[in-house]
Amino acid sequence: MTRLTTSAVPTVLPSRSRSGVRRVLSALVPLWLPVLLIAAWWFASASSKSPFFPPLHDILVETWNQWVVFGAWANAVSSLRNLLLGYLVGTLIGIIGGSLLWRVRYLRVAANPLIYFLYVLPAPALLPAMIAIFGIGDVRQIALIALGSIWPTLLNTLDGMRGIDTVKFDTAKALRLGGWRTYWRLVLPGAAPQIAAGLRASLTIGIVLMVVSEMVAAQSGIGFFILQAQAEFAIKKMWTGILVLALLGTVLNYLFVFAERRALRWYYRSRALGSS
Amino acid sequence: MRKAAGSWLTWTLPILTIGALLVAWQVATASGSISPTQFPTMTDTMEALAREVRTGRIWPAVGATMLGWAIGMVITIVLGLLVGTALAFSAFAQRSAAPVIEIFKAIPAIAILPIVILLAGSTLPMKVFLIFFAAFWPFVIQVIYGVRSMDPIVLDTARALGVRGVRRFLTVSIPSASPYLVTGMRIASAQALILSIVAELVGGAPGIGRNILLAQNTGVEAYPTMYAYIIVAGVLGVLLTGAFFLMEKKVMHWHESQRNIRDSNKAGAA
Repeated sequence: MTRLTTSAVPTVLPSRSRSGVRRVLSALVPLWLPVLLIAAWWFASASSKSPFFPPLHDILVETWNQWVVFGAWANAVSSLRNLLLGYLVGTLIGIIGGSLLWRVRYLRVAANPLIYFLYVLPAPALLPAMIAIFGIGDVRQIALIALGSIWPTLLNTLDGMRGIDTVKFDTAKALRLGGWRTYWRLVLPGAAPQIAAGLRASLTIGIVLMVVSEMVAAQSGIGFFILQAQAEFAIKKMWTGILVLALLGTVLNYLFVFAERRALRWYYRSRALGSS
Repeated sequence: MRKAAGSWLTWTLPILTIGALLVAWQVATASGSISPTQFPTMTDTMEALAREVRTGRIWPAVGATMLGWAIGMVITIVLGLLVGTALAFSAFAQRSAAPVIEIFKAIPAIAILPIVILLAGSTLPMKVFLIFFAAFWPFVIQVIYGVRSMDPIVLDTARALGVRGVRRFLTVSIPSASPYLVTGMRIASAQALILSIVAELVGGAPGIGRNILLAQNTGVEAYPTMYAYIIVAGVLGVLLTGAFFLMEKKVMHWHESQRNIRDSNKAGAA
């Protein structure tokens, strides 16, 4: 159903050179553009009088004041807690559900239209329905995040498990591995790379849902903070929220990639061996 | 795969499930085990859907959502192709741009929604910009992969035949990268639809998302309408994603990557 898609920019290894200077220069290549862009923002906005684009320096000072001194970090904590709970529940259901569908063929055929519908349904559209069902509160946030993050994980789990070489199952049978041991030792690790792809897609959806639901109906959270600031026309305050949210998204993404690399080290290593 | 044995089941089972689900929905809501203030009955929802179609109120909403989606996708695809191809041909450019693309991809597009609303209001340009911001980065990554996957012999042949510039871009680069491009478009399209709905829900631009929220705000008697529009959003998703899946399967059957995929599938199934 879904094809494994790498979601990172392909890595280009720098050409090997003996001289130390060139090696340092080549290590600096990935850095110059981000630095240049930030510098451009800094200097272009330094004398900005536009109400919408305050100087970067002011935004940074305001960020420190709002989020550290005035205690807006509580918003980030409540956002993250909801995201984490919803994401854990959703992805757990996704992995278990995907495994069940893989095991029980008739269930898979029968549930296919429903799962496909829920997968392609743009999840934010469910927000008003969730408000109607759960009211306004943390339960609703968690439920929405969980509901949205089930489907990418579930479909990728199913796909990964179906893609495992059947010869391996014959080997497992010959080794007289029981059902559960086959599942833990063969099926789960075999599908792991694609499950990871699904988990990452779920995380992206989860972050979007977290912010949307805070923006539409909530009393706390980063999305609430940003929209509140916008309603008060406190542009600088709003920018701090945007900055924190962008930072949070980036950090979560990098944490995920780091964890994925650690967990799937055996997979990358075996692939590197295979290609050389 | 035991295809022949269960082939009639692969058709009847899904239909049976949908039927059973609809009946279960009706029974659960009509019998009162789920309060109608939380969930309307199935027949009421279908009635509301039929009413929206009959009165024609549904079409401006669908049109507005689709228009934003389409413009956003066109801009994403054109710019993505240009930037992606340019980056793929130079290792230096690619290494320089990679962290920037990764960071922008990790920034949730909704983060910039409030500033875009302030600048552009609840308008079509606001929606289009958000869609572009969400769809561009994943697409450009697929373009880079696609162009890099190009067979070097094909590239050399093109060079020997003196095909270069725009012509090489159109007749060599794009066709050989096409499987990645279509996959990228499918990912971008899903992102675009989500952000389209978000821009309508949060930003108040006209479209399906705003109608869902309006129905929810109207109160319990409008809940069937709300679910009707949620169903419409899902159907839109099915149609768009389905179209790109079909494109992936049918148009790209000649491409090497597809041959390999099918061969390995066969090997896996054998």
